[in-house]
Amino acid sequence: MTDPDDTPAPDETAPAHPVTDLDDVVHQRVRLGILTIAHEARRVEFGFLRTQLELTAGNLSKHLSVLETAGLIGVEKGYEGRRGRTWITLTPAGSAALAAEVTRLKVLIARVENTDIPEDR
Amino acid sequence: MTSHAVPADGDPRRLLAEARGLARRVRLTQRVTWLPLLVLAVVTFGAIPVSGWGPTVTSGCRAVDGGQVCKVWEPAPQLYWLAALLLAYVVIARGYLRVARARGVDARVRPYVLTGVALTVVLFAALAAGTGAWIVPDPQLLDPSTSVQVLFRLLTPTGGIGLALLVLAWLERHPALLLFALGYLTVVLVPVTFGWAVHWGGRWQFAPMLVITGGLLLLGSTGFALAQRLRRAR
Repeated sequence: MTDPDDTPAPDETAPAHPVTDLDDVVHQRVRLGILTIAHEARRVEFGFLRTQLELTAGNLSKHLSVLETAGLIGVEKGYEGRRGRTWITLTPAGSAALAAEVTRLKVLIARVENTDIPEDR
Repeated sequence: MTSHAVPADGDPRRLLAEARGLARRVRLTQRVTWLPLLVLAVVTFGAIPVSGWGPTVTSGCRAVDGGQVCKVWEPAPQLYWLAALLLAYVVIARGYLRVARARGVDARVRPYVLTGVALTVVLFAALAAGTGAWIVPDPQLLDPSTSVQVLFRLLTPTGGIGLALLVLAWLERHPALLLFALGYLTVVLVPVTFGWAVHWGGRWQFAPMLVITGGLLLLGSTGFALAQRLRRAR
């Protein structure tokens, strides 16, 4: 029997599991979608985001607010004729956060694929 | 349980697949492929009367074996291509931005327009500097090799249009446009004239080639517009 105290301490020099690096602000599915669309589109309109992500206006606004507070997106309101339009752009920090998240996801996938999953005992 | 648990909807494979799917949908939305093809087809057709009726200035003639060699300058078509292509790329940039913004995204067209403008300016600067005579010495210029002919056809306004279209295909990650651009360049470089150009001499010798390349651009524009319409209707 093993004494619990004999359990080796986690190796602090070992690289952290990629899951621990995930940023909750970016990792959330809808927010990752917003950042992805804003990155690809350069500048995206609120209505386009709502349609693509199949969200209500209120729900999308909440996610945008989280991203804006974190400094990952910029929100610009204006008019086109009489119609109000809201445009969302990715900030440099948002671009870096998106790239980091995609890298972490790829590392995570590679790690899961390379790990031998023990058979059911 | 770790405080960094991945949310139920946070499966990395699914997240990445969704992100790729969204990026692809944005790229599809940004495409206005029919517009540059239509504008460039109009410019190409417009060159036919200008080439046929414009004045020809001949200078520096000298005798060689079996005839004489002259410097020929056709100011009207050359100035037409320069002005029309620059204007065309401005129209394409504005049109792309307008259509894409109406759809709720920004356009990814600037590198294409800059490439088109840069190629146009470089081609005409090379033409004005008489680069052809530097590449190939005079006697050979009368009967250039196939590779030189291909190079000269590439360094024409229609060749430049094809090169810029390759850039647009890469920007839009658009395999169909890439195939179209390669097919277009083949027609320009071979050139494919279906023997139509054989009996056209003198000032109208370029007309068949311009009809074929302009027609190809117009066909491409129609095809891409229809494909886009069908996709949006689905």
